[in-house]
Amino acid sequence: MENYKISDSKLVSLYKQGNEEAFEQLLKRHKARIYTTIYLIVKDNYVAEDLLQETFVKAINTIKGGRYNEEGKFLPWITRIAHNLSIDYFRKEKRYPTMILEDGSKVFNALEFAEDSIESVQIKNDTHSKLRDLIQELPEAQKEVLLMRHYMDMSFQEIAENTGVSINTALGRMRYALINLRKKMKQYNIAYDQDIYPR
Amino acid sequence: MTKTFTQDDVIRYVYDEISGEDREEIKQAIICDSELQDLYKELVAIKRQLDQSMKSPSDKVTESILNYSKSLNLLSNK
Repeated sequence: MENYKISDSKLVSLYKQGNEEAFEQLLKRHKARIYTTIYLIVKDNYVAEDLLQETFVKAINTIKGGRYNEEGKFLPWITRIAHNLSIDYFRKEKRYPTMILEDGSKVFNALEFAEDSIESVQIKNDTHSKLRDLIQELPEAQKEVLLMRHYMDMSFQEIAENTGVSINTALGRMRYALINLRKKMKQYNIAYDQDIYPR
Repeated sequence: MTKTFTQDDVIRYVYDEISGEDREEIKQAIICDSELQDLYKELVAIKRQLDQSMKSPSDKVTESILNYSKSLNLLSNK
């Protein structure tokens, strides 16, 4: 985890007092993580940007309106707003209805690559783009835990409470999600650094 | 007493959800147990890749969020 000089909660306090630079710092610090969370749910760059904007508008209104709960952590709070907006969008649009094919796979997975934008076609071979594609291939329960822990910074306890499973189940799903991703990366010959020791 | 650590403990360690004495003990366990060490390396490698794979929104969107925030300040100062 990155060490920040000023904590998020300090930046939020400064922002409440009218310090726009503090908000700029918060946005700069978290926009990629929040945007990626949204993108992994809606799978469309433009929709993800619209929802990112909507997320921050809600956050700004809540903070400036004095309704932000100081006890919570900023990142899990704002990513939860982003997550809820993305799920609402997904349900409203029903753009990817889940239908099961004869072989048991979901139509959703088959359609995914046919609808790639020009940009994603160009960077198809790029490691990061490929990894995001691989996340989409994970079983829903594993993908959900991965999003909540890795991108939304929720604890395993919070994930267990939110998804109605035990903490061991949440941990197990996360382990399978990460190991599955690693296996798939090896399958696609995606390079990674193996020279890692406990901190 | 020597504690036995599981794969799930390694997950919690990688995601920084173990603190104090337990953290030091699992660190030692990872160093001494080759299976736990292999799992640890796999998990840290993929975690790092996930961090690097994050997408950034366009500058235009960033700018418009900042402008929205500033516009509220202007309104409240009127």
